[in-house]
Amino acid sequence: MSRTDLLRGTLDLLILRALITGPNHGLGIARRVEQMTQGAFRVNPGSLFPALHRLDQKGWLAAEWGRSETNRKAKFYELTPAGRRHAEAEARNWKRVSVAIDLALRDVGEA
Amino acid sequence: MSGLGGWPAAGVVASRLRHVTVRLVNLFRRERLERELDAELEAYLALDAEAHVRRGMTPREARRTALVRLGGREMVKELCRDVHRFRADDLGRDVRDGARSLARRPAFTAVAVLSLALGIGANTAIFSLVNAIFLRDSPIERPEEVVNLYLHQASFAYSSFSYPDFEDVRDGTTAVFSDVAASQFAPAHIDRGEGGRVALVPAEAVTGNYLPMLGIEAVLGRTLLPSDDVARGGHPVVMLDHRYWQTAFAGAPDVVGRELRIGGRTYTVVGVGPPDFRGTMRGFTPAFYAPYMMVEELVGVRTFDVRGNHALFVKARLRPGVALPEAEAAVGAVAAQLTRDRIEDWDPAGRFALLPLTDVLLFPPMDVFIRAAAWLLMAVVALVLLLACTNLASFLLARALDRRKEIAVRLALGASRGSLVRRLLTETTLLGLLAGGAGTGLAVWLLHLLATVDLPLPIPVGLDLRLDGRVLAFTLGISLVAGALLGLVPALQSTRPELSGALRSESAGGGQPGQLRWRNALVVAQLTISLVLLVGAGLFLRSFQQVQSVDLGFGREPTAILTFLTPATRFAPDEARVYTRRLLDRFRELPGVDAVGAISRLHLNPLSTSTSDFNVAGFEPPGDRGAFVADRAHVDPGFFEAAGIELLRGRNFSDADRPDTQPVVIISEAMARRFWEDGDAVGRLVRRRDDEDPPWLVVGVAADAKVRSLGEAPRNMAYLPYSQRLARSMTVVARTSTDPERTALALLAAGRKVDPDLWVFETKTMERHLALMRLPQRLSSFVLSAFGVLALALAAIGLYGVVSYGVAQRTREIGIRMALGAGRPRVVRLLVAGGLRLVVIGGVLGLALALAAARLLGGLLFEVSALDPLTFLGVPLVLGAAALLAAWLPARRASRVDPLAALRTD
Repeated sequence: MSRTDLLRGTLDLLILRALITGPNHGLGIARRVEQMTQGAFRVNPGSLFPALHRLDQKGWLAAEWGRSETNRKAKFYELTPAGRRHAEAEARNWKRVSVAIDLALRDVGEA
Repeated sequence: MSGLGGWPAAGVVASRLRHVTVRLVNLFRRERLERELDAELEAYLALDAEAHVRRGMTPREARRTALVRLGGREMVKELCRDVHRFRADDLGRDVRDGARSLARRPAFTAVAVLSLALGIGANTAIFSLVNAIFLRDSPIERPEEVVNLYLHQASFAYSSFSYPDFEDVRDGTTAVFSDVAASQFAPAHIDRGEGGRVALVPAEAVTGNYLPMLGIEAVLGRTLLPSDDVARGGHPVVMLDHRYWQTAFAGAPDVVGRELRIGGRTYTVVGVGPPDFRGTMRGFTPAFYAPYMMVEELVGVRTFDVRGNHALFVKARLRPGVALPEAEAAVGAVAAQLTRDRIEDWDPAGRFALLPLTDVLLFPPMDVFIRAAAWLLMAVVALVLLLACTNLASFLLARALDRRKEIAVRLALGASRGSLVRRLLTETTLLGLLAGGAGTGLAVWLLHLLATVDLPLPIPVGLDLRLDGRVLAFTLGISLVAGALLGLVPALQSTRPELSGALRSESAGGGQPGQLRWRNALVVAQLTISLVLLVGAGLFLRSFQQVQSVDLGFGREPTAILTFLTPATRFAPDEARVYTRRLLDRFRELPGVDAVGAISRLHLNPLSTSTSDFNVAGFEPPGDRGAFVADRAHVDPGFFEAAGIELLRGRNFSDADRPDTQPVVIISEAMARRFWEDGDAVGRLVRRRDDEDPPWLVVGVAADAKVRSLGEAPRNMAYLPYSQRLARSMTVVARTSTDPERTALALLAAGRKVDPDLWVFETKTMERHLALMRLPQRLSSFVLSAFGVLALALAAIGLYGVVSYGVAQRTREIGIRMALGAGRPRVVRLLVAGGLRLVVIGGVLGLALALAAARLLGGLLFEVSALDPLTFLGVPLVLGAAALLAAWLPARRASRVDPLAALRTD
């Protein structure tokens, strides 16, 4: 898997995850995802913005204009309660799958 | 992986709705969205560039780097727009797919649309009827304040008022009513100069305050006003009904001021009423309204000073703040006053009753039956639609199960269950809408038929059956509901996630137990419903058969009938007798007429009765009435011969029976046998209730005939000589050896030759006269048979579809059985047996329901038991035979399967 070729569902989950700590703007979210994955995923704006708008439409995010830490105008996204629930459920799902795949692939890495 | 597997259908719909709304809103906000997007991306670029500057780039470099990293600003914007864009293609694609899928199977689509259209059309037609009778808004102003007044008498509840009653109530209730107004039906003889033809049209005589009280306003000219209704016979003006103006005057704008000849007098048109006011009683739309003061001239009957002539329908408007009980007390006081003061002509048991206008459909004692009939019809058509739906649902279910492999593949490939359900629902909703369109056409046609059907009624009856917004909304509603219901069960069943098991090819035989249950339940339901309908139809058909085979005791030969009036306003009693004699003599000369007679009220006339009280020496009268009761009619000597009623004993009437001679009577055989053992009543006396009236001398005994209803036991009947006792309305009975229809017209023409102003109430044939009595049985048997046959056809199609589907599912099993040596008959038996099991269950359920329903219908049947063995044996036999055929046809086809080919399926 190339670093930027993220599965859509994965990107959504990462964005929601990035917002659990609090509201953030687009660039902030992208940086946070990179940080969280220790640079494994770099989110390009061509995926980021459509994903943000999609999650906004699904009612998982709420958007509001605000000021960045450097006092620049920016659009801030925030998790809605539904978004928070969805993020938690998806996280559990993902963990189950990843444990299963780990188990399945255990000997691949050891061989 | 996605959590969509467990979406309930409601969730699908809700989320679909939310998406559609969001996108629609976005469509209008496109401008704003563009600005937003630009601002957002610009902010992103600025923030990114700022970070680069912090790391030591020049602002220009930083900006360029940020732009590069954004990777094509327009592309990002386009990707975002995609998210927001109202993608009509989403819904559009579903509709296109659905339409294509329907077009691929034209036979199925045609059957589906046709059977649904029958159901929807029947529902629309019946709902239009209900709408016209129950729901259509009346143009009456503040209808909740208006009450109908009735007179309850010992002999008759909900009677109309006499004119003196009306005056007394009007003058005695000014404290509670702001207005009391009355109307009276007045069949009018209107001569519009078309070749000298005089037409009988329904009209209403209304008091001057009637139309203003109801708030009726003229669309042309003016309405009738109190000033039009002051002096008796002094106001020859009319307001035309809107529809009559349209049909008889072609909506001429200059109609106001024109003159009409009505009942031999010239009336002036002063206005045209509004289109939505259809007169006092639903279904009887008058041609025009005339001031009440003209009523005697219109009807030809003394009305103003006679308390015995009950013909006025009275309405009143409550004063503001007056409650119904207060008004009831006020009319009660008027009745009490009358009981005290008017011993000579007021029925002491009489009292006045009030009903809010909005509670009355037509006439309180009839409303019960109208409501019951309407509910029955609604229930029947709803059943038919339900049947059409279940029938098609089993087809669709079968097809959906056929496609379950394809669906399982789609689900596995990540299509959400919601989107699959949506596609199936779109398809069936499309079916529903197509059928709704076809059904509306069918309903228009049915209503047209209904409007033009020639009911044997003396006065034309017409309801406003146009399809209005309410009816169309109803049709759209049931089409959508039918479409959605139709698709929902198959859609949910076939997209169940567990169906992924369908991918394993070894499960190719038979569906899941759950689906089998569903399919079977659907078949059982439709068999049950059609059995209930067919039993109902069978009972009514048998009933109609009985009704037609009853010997009525008169009118067996082809006979023409003409009813005419000798208005008291034109003829003194002696003149009336001479006039009638001249008419009858003229009729006797007509070619083809074998016998002519006249009677005041012909037997089996459901619209009125007339009776006399009597006593016979040595017999104690029953109850507290103090007298026996006989039906009474005044006849001329020719009547018995013309009507075919045999005189069993004694003599006929003759000219020697005059007003000043001994009153004589001919009585029915039943009456004679009741009081004189050997039936020889000739020469005996029948005493009147009031001993001051001279007794009747029995001069003859006539054979029994049906008087009031087809099912009655022979009644006491007293025939009085017309020469002795005058009647103003006489019905001529002319027995003929030629066509009675033509004879009736010949009677009319001959009558007009004697007197161009002859007041003819009606001309018809005896057959038509009797048809009115048979109408309820005829209508119910026709309606139920039509629905029953329809239901049977639908049920047979349904069973055929389901058995053939079951056969298709078991192709492999059949192949194995045949390969193992099972013969064709054995395989057919096996397959048919599966279908017949359902037929038996449906039959038992249907019989149980039909028994319950038959008990409810019992009162409407004529000389047929609600448990009529012929019906209850015959209908299940017919149904069983049809079901057997429907199951056998596909089973036989399956037994021709080549075992090898069958084993290779899947």
